[in-house]
Amino acid sequence: ENISDFSLNVTDCTQVVVPEEVFFTVAAAGILENLLILIAVVRNKNLHLPMYFFICSLAISDMLGSLYKTLENIFIILCKMGYLTRHGDFEKKLDDAMDSMFILSLLGSIFSLLAIAADRYITIFYALRYHNIMTLRRALVILAIIWAFCAGSSIAIALFSYEAATVIPFTILFPLMMFFILCLYVHMFLLARSHAKKIASLPSSTVHHRTNMKGAITLTIFLGVFLCCWAPFVLHILLARFCPHNPYCACYMSIFHVNGTLIMCNAIINPMIFAFRSPELRSTFKKMFYHSR
Amino acid sequence: MSALRLISNRTSQQALSNSDYTWDYEYYEYGPVSFEGLKAHKYSIVIGFWVGLAVFVIFMFFVLTLLTKTGAPHQENAELSEKRFCMKSFVADFGRPSESERVFSHQMAEESQSLFHFCINEVDHMNKEKESQKGPSLESNTYFQEVPKSSGMFEEDLHCLTKFNIPNFVNTEQNSSLGEDDLLISEPPIIL
Repeated sequence: ENISDFSLNVTDCTQVVVPEEVFFTVAAAGILENLLILIAVVRNKNLHLPMYFFICSLAISDMLGSLYKTLENIFIILCKMGYLTRHGDFEKKLDDAMDSMFILSLLGSIFSLLAIAADRYITIFYALRYHNIMTLRRALVILAIIWAFCAGSSIAIALFSYEAATVIPFTILFPLMMFFILCLYVHMFLLARSHAKKIASLPSSTVHHRTNMKGAITLTIFLGVFLCCWAPFVLHILLARFCPHNPYCACYMSIFHVNGTLIMCNAIINPMIFAFRSPELRSTFKKMFYHSR
Repeated sequence: MSALRLISNRTSQQALSNSDYTWDYEYYEYGPVSFEGLKAHKYSIVIGFWVGLAVFVIFMFFVLTLLTKTGAPHQENAELSEKRFCMKSFVADFGRPSESERVFSHQMAEESQSLFHFCINEVDHMNKEKESQKGPSLESNTYFQEVPKSSGMFEEDLHCLTKFNIPNFVNTEQNSSLGEDDLLISEPPIIL
C-alpha cells in the first residue's frame, strides 16, 4: 500500500479514536434496548396500536444504525488482522451494502420521527375521527411505504454516492424534516396554549406554568437529541464532499469516530424518550422480567 | 496506529462521492493537507459547530417556552372547578359495560377523544351556564369505582394526550405534583 501518499502531518489533527470497548458496549446496549421494545410490542396485544408501531419503526432504524457501526468495526478489525483483503470485489460489495444499511437507518429514523409526530398531530387535532383516520391497517401501509422508499433511496445513494447530486439532497432532507416535525409540534403547542388561555380566563382557575414548561422541555429534548446525534455526521459528509483538503475541514473530519459513537448513543436515548414514557410498555417490561425469573 | 488511521480514513470515505471507487489507499487525498499558517484555531469548525448547535437548541427551547406560556399569571384563585368538571365527565363514562375488553378499550379510546373535545367545548359553555353544569357531575361519582385499571388502550390514548401537557388534562389537582402518568390512572380523580 502506498502509505507514502499520506503526507498528512502526523502531529496535527490526528484521528480521534474511540476505544473499541466503549464502541462495542454502546452498540450492544443500543441493539439490546431496541430489541426489547420490539419484543414487548409484539407480545402485548394492548400495544398493537399505530402509535406503538411507529415507535417500533424508530426502534428498528436505531437497531440498524448500531448494527452497521458494529459490523463496520468488526470489518476493520478483520482487515487489520489480515483476514480480508482491501481490494477485493467482495469487500467493495460488502462496503456498499453496509453504507446503504447506514443511510437506511438515518432515513428510517427521520421518517419514523415524522410518522410519530404526524400520529400525535392527528390525535390532537382530529381526535374524534382518529380511530377512523389512523386504522391499524393504514399505519402498516404507511410504514411499508416509508421503509420501501428509504430502502430504495439508501441503495441509490450508496451506489451513486459519487455525485454531488446525491449528497446535497441527502443533507437538505435532514434539516427540512426536522423543521417540518418542529412545525407539527409547535402547532400542537399552540392549541394547548389557546386551550389553556380559555381555562385561565375562567374566574376560578389557577394557572400552572410548570407543566407548560414540561411540554417545551420534552420537545426540546427529543428534537435536540436527534439533532446533536445526527448533525455532526451529516456535516462530516458535506465537508468530505466539498472541502476535503482544507485543514479546518480535515480537523473536523478527524473526529469521525466520535460522530459515529454519537449516532449509536441516539439509538440508546431514543427509546427512553419515546417508548419508555408509556406506562403500558413499562408494565410489559416488568412482566417480561418477572416471568423470566 | 497509522494503519488504523489509514483504514478508518478509508471507511470514513465510503459514504462520500468518489470519482472512481477503489479500495486503494492512493485514492484518498487526505494528504497533502498543510497545517501551516492557519489563522484560526485548527478545531475551529468543530467548536463553532457545537456552539452553534447548543445555541440553536437553547433558542428553540426558549421559543417553545414562550409559545406555551399561558396568558394569565396573576390569577391566584382556588380550585379549577371547571377543570374538575371536565375530569369528572371524563371518568363519568367508564362504567359502560361491554363484551370484550377490546371493544371496551376501543370505546374508551373513542370516549377519551370525544371527551377531549367535549371538555374544550364545555369550558366555553361553562362561562354561560356555570350552575346548571354542576348538577350532572354529581352522578358521575357513582361511576368512579368502576374505572378499570386494566384498560390499557384507554390509558395509552390518554397518556398520549396528556403527554403534551394540555393544561386541562394535566392540572386537575391543587397540588400539581402529578406525574404525567398519574392522571386518571392511579388516583381517584375527584374529591368533591
